Amino acid sequence: MKPKDCDQLTKVIQAQHSREWSPELRQHASHCDECSDALSLADALQDAARIAERQSRLPDAHWIFEKARRRTREMAMKRIARLLAAMRLLAAVYAVAAAGWLLHGFAPTQFPELATALRGVSSGYARTGTLAALACVAAGLLLVLSGRARRRGLGSGR
Amino acid sequence: MPAMEDARAIAGWMTKDREQTTAGEEGFRRIYEATSRPLWGYLQHASGRPDVADDLLQETFCRFLERKSPAMDEDQTRSYLFRIATNLLHDRFRSREDTAVEEPGDAGTEKDEETRLDVQAAMRQLKPRERELLWLAYVEGMNHTEIAAATGLGAMSIRILLFRARQRASEFLRPRRIVQ
Repeated sequence: MKPKDCDQLTKVIQAQHSREWSPELRQHASHCDECSDALSLADALQDAARIAERQSRLPDAHWIFEKARRRTREMAMKRIARLLAAMRLLAAVYAVAAAGWLLHGFAPTQFPELATALRGVSSGYARTGTLAALACVAAGLLLVLSGRARRRGLGSGR
Repeated sequence: MPAMEDARAIAGWMTKDREQTTAGEEGFRRIYEATSRPLWGYLQHASGRPDVADDLLQETFCRFLERKSPAMDEDQTRSYLFRIATNLLHDRFRSREDTAVEEPGDAGTEKDEETRLDVQAAMRQLKPRERELLWLAYVEGMNHTEIAAATGLGAMSIRILLFRARQRASEFLRPRRIVQ
């Protein structure tokens, strides 16, 4: 069986909270065990809340605002650092690929055995790779530079 | 001269940015003044420790500033803050830190001290979820839909959970009231 409380309870609690009672609701609350129990509990909790409010020593809003701004900036820095690390990795991969492509070009004259091994790699494929690398580097630089400009703007605010 | 125009544009942008920051801080100050004390009370009674409430309050407002949507109205902001605070409390409970309930400082008058001890003793007997529900319903005056939004629970289950929490809390508070 599901527990069931008084239908008027929500209204009673809200009236107690807003201090706006209708005579019928007040009458009901004084006769209903459920509601008067809930009202006593609400009274005790609200007293405790008032005491807690008096005790609290809260930090200044400015201090929290600055802390949040600092954290936002740090997170942005971390995001940029991750992007740069990814770009570095990509650059390393493309450097190796470019080295392979160069070797493929020069190898037939200098190293015939290596040329045989790399025969499968076409120069068109390498060119496409180089172009893709350049596009990635340009997009990454754009992101880094626009991020830096935004950060500089934030820093000047104070 | 293009350099002068650039400098003027940058200066304009910086001024606008500074104005936006100042306006943002003013808006935040208003929200903070209206909500920080009730939020601290909630965190303190749900966690049972004022030092934990201090930490979580700061974290709540920092997360709020990082993620808030500018289109939020007053009620949505309040509900969102309680939601963040509740999630932080749950993370804290899950990590099983701060299980001991610490006694806060002097409450003031003798009657205050008695009330504080009564409520604290009752709260200590309840589950964290029950403390949250009771506080949101009876101190913050939230209705079931608002409590559901603040706790992430289903609106339908709030009524039953609240009923059980109230029964349990009344059991712990009643003996003292009868003696009085």
